[in-house]
Amino acid sequence: MSMFGMLDTAASGMRTHRVWLNAVSDNIANISTYRPMDEAAYQPRYVDAQSLPGANGQYNGANGGVGVRQILFGDPEGRVIYSPDHPLADENGLVRAPDTDLGEQMTQLMMAQRSYQSNSTVILRAKDMYQQAMQIGRG
Amino acid sequence: MVIPPIGAIGGIGSVGSLGPTAGATQAAPGGDFASKISDAIDQLDELNKASDTAAQQAATGDLTDIHDYMIAATEASTATELAVSVRNRALEAFQEIMRMQV
Amino acid sequence: MSDFTIDSLHAALRGLSTRQRVIANNLANSETPGYLAGTVSFEDSLRTAMRRGEPKTAAVSQGTSANPAFVNGNNVELDEETVALLETGMRYQLLTQAVSSKYSIIRTAIGRGA
Repeated sequence: MSMFGMLDTAASGMRTHRVWLNAVSDNIANISTYRPMDEAAYQPRYVDAQSLPGANGQYNGANGGVGVRQILFGDPEGRVIYSPDHPLADENGLVRAPDTDLGEQMTQLMMAQRSYQSNSTVILRAKDMYQQAMQIGRG
Repeated sequence: MVIPPIGAIGGIGSVGSLGPTAGATQAAPGGDFASKISDAIDQLDELNKASDTAAQQAATGDLTDIHDYMIAATEASTATELAVSVRNRALEAFQEIMRMQV
Repeated sequence: MSDFTIDSLHAALRGLSTRQRVIANNLANSETPGYLAGTVSFEDSLRTAMRRGEPKTAAVSQGTSANPAFVNGNNVELDEETVALLETGMRYQLLTQAVSSKYSIIRTAIGRGA
């Protein structure tokens, strides 16, 4: 762990949560993206995060922070809805809508934003601590 | 009311030992004092080496905690000031002695 | 006057100031299409040079970040760069303090005080 390990950890947190925010905003933007029945629906993105091991390869609480292991995609079947006037509807009037729950996405949005903010606060506090340490013995 | 008479003031008791320096001033000059000085210089050398090691680790980014370097550096610099101060006092004392009319 | 520790610190300061410049450039170009973030590395070279006893020969090398690019071809990660800027600044402060403190010890020994 480097001298300023706390900053690296918090930065990894901010990066991961920003990826989460991006994914959620993607999902929300595509909430009305319909696809014809013969194609896969828009698949909502889910971020799979994992804790990263520390510098010596072991997780001992003294951190490598968090990272994105992979992006998972939701159900390609989607929700089949009846919308006969839609240009992409098939002969039965069905289209594929994404299997996204707007309420759940909004909750995730709030959680991601809060976590992003908390990590940013960690950086500020860590910076204060480091600067305090650098005052030892002066003056 | 009766005012009791002021008792005699007792003699000043001997000052307790002040630690190693007391022994040093009573020993022959150049004996214990010299070894004390060389011990202090060795210790100062150790502190400086520790501070240097921490500074080198800070340079390559291998230092784990900032306070390790800061404390080592403060110890080294304070010990240096102390050693210089002792040297100066010893020098003054020596010059004082040399100036005494025999 | 050459001293192993002061030479090591000096080499590290050179690396850090280069890194600071590159980070500032990355931040300025955080929206530029096709811009790839620059990186600076000197720690490994310095470590090897110090083990050989010649910290002055440490090399500062620049490269580009391997981070994946966004839609516009830019791959600057704003959080990473901001934290790196902060970290580099504080390391620079710590090392300049270390150099000053070494010289002040020498001055104290000479008798001129800090």
